[in-house]
Amino acid sequence: MLNKQVIEDTLNAALTTGGDFAEVYVEDRTNNGIVMIGGKVESTMTGRDYGVGIRIFKGFNSVYAYTNKSDRDSLISTAKKAAAAIEGKQGTIALSLNMTQNENINVIHIDPNTIEKTRKVQLMRRAYDTAFNYDDLITQVTVSYMDYNQDIMVANSEGLWKEDKRVRTRLAISSVASKNGEMQSGFFGPGASKGYEFYENLDVDKYAREASRIAVTMVNAKYSPSGKMPVIIDNGFGGVIFHEACGHGLEATSVAKGLSVFSDKVGQKIASPLVTAIDDGTIPNEWGSFNIDDEGTPSHRNVLIENGILKGYMIDKLNARRMKMDITGSGRRQSYRYAPTSRMSNTFIDNGKSSPEEIIANTEKGIYAKYMGGGSVNPSTGEFNFAVMEGYIIENGKIKDPVRGATLIGKGTDILNKIDMVGNNMTHGQGMCGSVSGSIPTNVGQPMIRVSEITVGGREGEK
Amino acid sequence: MDMKMLINKIFAEGKKQGINDMEVFYSAGSSLSLKVFQKELDGYSLSESEGLGLRGMYNGKMGYSYTEKVDETSIELLVKNVKENATVIDSDDEEYIFEGSKEYKKVDTFNPKLEEVEEAEKIKFVKQLEEEAFKIDNRIQSVETCVYGDGYGETIMSNTKGLYLHDKSNIAYTYVVVVAKENEDIKTGMAYRTGNDFSKFSAKEIAEEAVNEALSMLGAKSVKSGDYPVVIRNNAAADLLEAFEGIFSAENVQKNLSLLKGKLNEQIGSEKFTLVDDPFMEGGLASRSFDGEGVASKFKKVVDKGVLKTYFHNLKTAKKDGVETTGNASKGSYKSSVGIAPSNLYVEKGEKTLEEMISVMDKGILITELQGLHSGLNSVSGDFSLAALGYEIKDGKISKPVEQITVAGNYFELLKNIEETGSDLKFGLPGEAYIGSPSLKIKKLAIAGE
Repeated sequence: MLNKQVIEDTLNAALTTGGDFAEVYVEDRTNNGIVMIGGKVESTMTGRDYGVGIRIFKGFNSVYAYTNKSDRDSLISTAKKAAAAIEGKQGTIALSLNMTQNENINVIHIDPNTIEKTRKVQLMRRAYDTAFNYDDLITQVTVSYMDYNQDIMVANSEGLWKEDKRVRTRLAISSVASKNGEMQSGFFGPGASKGYEFYENLDVDKYAREASRIAVTMVNAKYSPSGKMPVIIDNGFGGVIFHEACGHGLEATSVAKGLSVFSDKVGQKIASPLVTAIDDGTIPNEWGSFNIDDEGTPSHRNVLIENGILKGYMIDKLNARRMKMDITGSGRRQSYRYAPTSRMSNTFIDNGKSSPEEIIANTEKGIYAKYMGGGSVNPSTGEFNFAVMEGYIIENGKIKDPVRGATLIGKGTDILNKIDMVGNNMTHGQGMCGSVSGSIPTNVGQPMIRVSEITVGGREGEK
Repeated sequence: MDMKMLINKIFAEGKKQGINDMEVFYSAGSSLSLKVFQKELDGYSLSESEGLGLRGMYNGKMGYSYTEKVDETSIELLVKNVKENATVIDSDDEEYIFEGSKEYKKVDTFNPKLEEVEEAEKIKFVKQLEEEAFKIDNRIQSVETCVYGDGYGETIMSNTKGLYLHDKSNIAYTYVVVVAKENEDIKTGMAYRTGNDFSKFSAKEIAEEAVNEALSMLGAKSVKSGDYPVVIRNNAAADLLEAFEGIFSAENVQKNLSLLKGKLNEQIGSEKFTLVDDPFMEGGLASRSFDGEGVASKFKKVVDKGVLKTYFHNLKTAKKDGVETTGNASKGSYKSSVGIAPSNLYVEKGEKTLEEMISVMDKGILITELQGLHSGLNSVSGDFSLAALGYEIKDGKISKPVEQITVAGNYFELLKNIEETGSDLKFGLPGEAYIGSPSLKIKKLAIAGE
């Protein structure tokens, strides 16, 4: 994407003031987005993101600069401006770039850019029709479609020089049900690191019906009870609990500086022995997968927790220096506008032994969270919160009435130890994760799990 | 190449391709961000960036495209994508290119003094901020984040109907997050400042605010679940308003996505509740003389003493409702299509201080922070259930700190249950809009805890 001489000259310019590592990142990305509201295409956007990011390290300190201009003069001037922030003398680094290729795990069959917009609109219309006609209570359906084609190049002063292509697409369906002046919504948003072939095997109608079914169920639901109680969280997107309660706390971003509640705990028991958790960027064509991360490191399968024991963290290049540990292929960023840092890819709790039926039958009283919404965490204190999109009361081992408006709160360290049943039906769900290096696609995943006690925030008193 | 020349070339190519009216939205800017950790500048970033968005009417529909490669090589693709995108639009709502307002009120969003501040001074400031935070109390175990940043931006909006508008602004921000530890108890506290007057940033003052926020939460416990009278402190009330401001958008109303549909000139909130959108507010970080469609900005009371006076309109929604636009078209960046957003939006302040509001309460909760605002609420139904931090109120005074609770209710009901608005109007961090609120005393909300 850039010629070798220009890259080398830029890297050299970046190292003129004593930096001990320099990196150039180029991104050229086309984005397509279409929004359909009430069955009509409301807006469409096509655009091209293009820019270059230059990063310099000296010890634990880092400098980052970006620009949209990629001619030699602009790049060298940007590199020099960045280098000016470092105080020191030029060392001797002999640059010798060598282009290498990594195995392509996300094979793309149909480039979405070759598909006519009208075909994408047809797909959306089908989702709309199915969702809208699901029930008379459905009053509005919004369908959004996106795809992108991201070409990247990473080169650094260690001689690494790689290029990669990432293609992703996602269809999101949001249904609103109304009754007696109240509105509730339901959402489903499947996505993958695939081309347009993703939709050839996708049961669009199923997802459209699910979004509407959730909205209708919730508009007919009463408010959730409050207080501490057992909570069963179903598979798939339910894995957001691990993502928030623990995943962020295992990113080197907070671990390296001793700020995470999980800092210095490798080898120690931090979770129930039933919990094995993995961050795996190598699963072919998954939403959070990639061939190489944004620092040029091949994606890894990282076991984070094994049978309750903390095994490792997710570590990027800069934090690896501070932690004196190896990088794990976790350096990610939203775009050239962000310096990469350690982030999750496809993060999930692995299968256990219980069947979902068993878990429900063994729960006398509590909440069953069928679908989760999003959440957030403060990694320093471990306090997390997340929303239940579709919940039910459990009584005497049976799923009873639906409840709305439940939020689960707690502390990561506490909740991990209270997971007392783990199911055998692991699946993934797709999400966007926001943090210091921007918003990136990640999968969350888990089988059905039960937490023996968690604070449920609802609007009704204790039951 | 000169920007005007490039724009003219784009328009010429568009005309040739059968696009009637066209508009270019160009923005460029630079930014600097400094991060300190343990006395060292451990993060330094700078940027220079630009982007250009094109929209145009093709066969009666509006198509959009953008590029970050701003040169002649992008013209062909920009025009082609506008045509393609316009072709699939089948909404009946009319979007159109605006010829310009008669008059534009000047707003002061650029402070030349900020551009003159030396980098060394900024570095000194952010290092001092960290140092001050450590100095105040030895229970401050670490300073998690300590940042200073600033940025400059300019925008050009130019269209084939003769409109040519130019705007520039700059802003500086700083924030610090501290971690306090006592035995096994860990608490964080945050404070921030924004504005374009560097001389107003006091490291000591900001550090003190963050440290107090963290220390005062040490020893926090949950409370018994139940309905409590609640005071939502200014910062938290502003965050809540920001999460729900979409209910006032005419777009949402027209699409059946707002429960305020059909409520114009009706009482939707307590008489204490007046909501103002003031694009000319002094010191407002969303101040602007024109909106995302080039329409002159307007001051408006959205809600006056509880009565809903208007929705936020752009040209499209206004035409549909047969009213005049309120100048609230948003164009977040060259990447965005035209939407709707407020400018400087705030709840008008009352007369009582926070202490005075609390002094009349026997029992209650003061909420100082709401978490999970992007997930724990439903902007359509108004329902919210959010993790919160705060204090117990006992006998008219702030007593013990509270954590591990959720506060739940419905925003539409909350507006009706505002018993008092404080005198302490405060604005949150600026996004597309700049949103503020004083502390609000609410009759009751459901608290879940023990």
